[in-house]
Amino acid sequence: MTRNGPVALFFHTLVVIFMLAPLAIVCLVAFTPENTLSLPTRGFSLRWFQAVFHHPDFVQSFWNSLWLAVLSATLAVALAVPASLAVTRWEFPGRGFLNALFLSPLIIPHLVLGVAMLRLFAVVGATGSFGWLVAAHMVIVTPYVMRLLIAAISGFDRSVEQAAYSLGASEAIVFRRVTLPMILPGVTGGWLIAFINSFDELTMSIFITSPSTVTLPVRMYMYATESIDPMMAAVSALIIGITMVAVLLLDRVYGLDRILVGQH
Amino acid sequence: MSFLELKNITKRYGPLTAVGDVSLSVEKGEFVSLLGPSGCGKTTTLQMIAGFVEPSAGTIRLDGRDITRAKANSRGLGIVFQSYALFPHMTVFDNVSFGLEMQRVARGERKPRVEEALSLVHLSPYAKRYPRELSGGQRQRVALARALVIRPPVLLLDEPLSNLDAKLREAMQFELREIQRKVGTTTVMVTHDQAEAFSISDRVVVMEAGRITQIDQPYRIYEHPETEFISRFVGKTNLLPGKVVTATGAGATVSLAGIAVPVETADLSVGETVTLCIRPEKLHLTAPSSGLLTGRVADRFFLGSQWLYHIDGPVGTLMVVTPNDGSTPAEQGAPVGLEWSPSVVRVHRGAMAEAPDVALEVTG
Repeated sequence: MTRNGPVALFFHTLVVIFMLAPLAIVCLVAFTPENTLSLPTRGFSLRWFQAVFHHPDFVQSFWNSLWLAVLSATLAVALAVPASLAVTRWEFPGRGFLNALFLSPLIIPHLVLGVAMLRLFAVVGATGSFGWLVAAHMVIVTPYVMRLLIAAISGFDRSVEQAAYSLGASEAIVFRRVTLPMILPGVTGGWLIAFINSFDELTMSIFITSPSTVTLPVRMYMYATESIDPMMAAVSALIIGITMVAVLLLDRVYGLDRILVGQH
Repeated sequence: MSFLELKNITKRYGPLTAVGDVSLSVEKGEFVSLLGPSGCGKTTTLQMIAGFVEPSAGTIRLDGRDITRAKANSRGLGIVFQSYALFPHMTVFDNVSFGLEMQRVARGERKPRVEEALSLVHLSPYAKRYPRELSGGQRQRVALARALVIRPPVLLLDEPLSNLDAKLREAMQFELREIQRKVGTTTVMVTHDQAEAFSISDRVVVMEAGRITQIDQPYRIYEHPETEFISRFVGKTNLLPGKVVTATGAGATVSLAGIAVPVETADLSVGETVTLCIRPEKLHLTAPSSGLLTGRVADRFFLGSQWLYHIDGPVGTLMVVTPNDGSTPAEQGAPVGLEWSPSVVRVHRGAMAEAPDVALEVTG
């Protein structure tokens, strides 16, 4: 491995600071006792966090987002496990098409998806339905799960399944006792990535949420267009916290380097 | 009727015939090896016995029962895979116990049987470990214990030792045979390593291009290879093209580049083109111009217990292996005589095929 020279090191430091500073500042501002977005100079206060927890719209939106993320991630995993097994292991007509179809939401701008979903919801009369919102989020997060699962399944030694099969296990038992546990890091990693993506999604959700299904990012966006006060910083700090916990979990169960560098 | 019987087993993949018309009878308790170079159909044959590949034609019978179309999970065979295929998320104990669980053996009975299997392969202290915490040789033993614990009628071994280093491989060969003798399980092993096949099998099945070319005891295959391919593939050999000059009921004389060599093969006819096959260790060095032919030491290699000489002579370069008996070896460039007994010469009819490096590659 080549070592970085002083110039490179200085540059990397700048980049890291540039990336982390806004997050750090938002988190600091969230603790201000003032009425304006300012760095807390006269002591720390939790008043804006309290304000969030007493703001019924934000509380409602938080639960919306949480349920939405949990449901869409879970359903995406349930769909992606058989889909990635099929795409990775079997040759069948339309295999390439199916693979591309599952991954296509990655390259379609969320704005376009939002407009399309808005139209679709109007046509089928699903406007305002939480279930259809979950379905729309599933479309967005499934590719992430597929990517991780395909990586996990490609590196899988099929003879392990054959061994279980030869010992008398049925196909269902082979899947439950051998295949699933062996791809479990991919499954949980995929679930967490799906959760994070759904929880943070704004662009598409703006189009398809209704007053009763407004998600936390959409609520923040709506609130921020009218006024900016430190409560926004408090909500941001909470989201950063939740995402960080999810990412740390992800690193534990799957390994961030495997996702980012693509090793498996 | 034999215990395991393959009758005219054929596997075609489109226009390609991977296994053609293979018939094989294995007796109860026998250890049979399928030996051949890669792509010869030995693994496909094993997979058809295991039930992972369905034969295009032919029947497989186990203990009188037709299992040709039976599902792999209903055959009850024990299989050891080349990659060991252990369950990485289970302990050694759970790996071995898995088959018993699938057979619905009561919990109370499982434990002593797993322990028995683990002690058979000398792994009792490792029951609580995970496969990743074991060495290659230990994983191999776990795979063996897992296959044997269900008391299978037949044990199938797919290149079981090929992932081990040379020294361990040799030790495991003998251990494998010892364990197989102890439990008495009928065993079919696939290998490309002739040393492995010879040292532990009762019979060896040599396969070439999807077909069986010879089934015999290891010693017979080595000493009486039925085809030139086998004599090349199995061990080192010297192949010499010649022509029959005299033939009687009891033997013949073959001319090798003008040198008359007696052979003991009957029913040869005068003028026939033949290939003589003589194993390097059957040739003896003598004083110059005292043997059947004279040559010069082109090269010599010290193999520890043996010397390998390359002797340049009138019939080309011959390999000669002599035991290292402690005496001074012949010098490089020195003239030497070569002699051999007519009884060790095997005669294949026809001219020599052009593939002389096969034997060098796979001498194991």
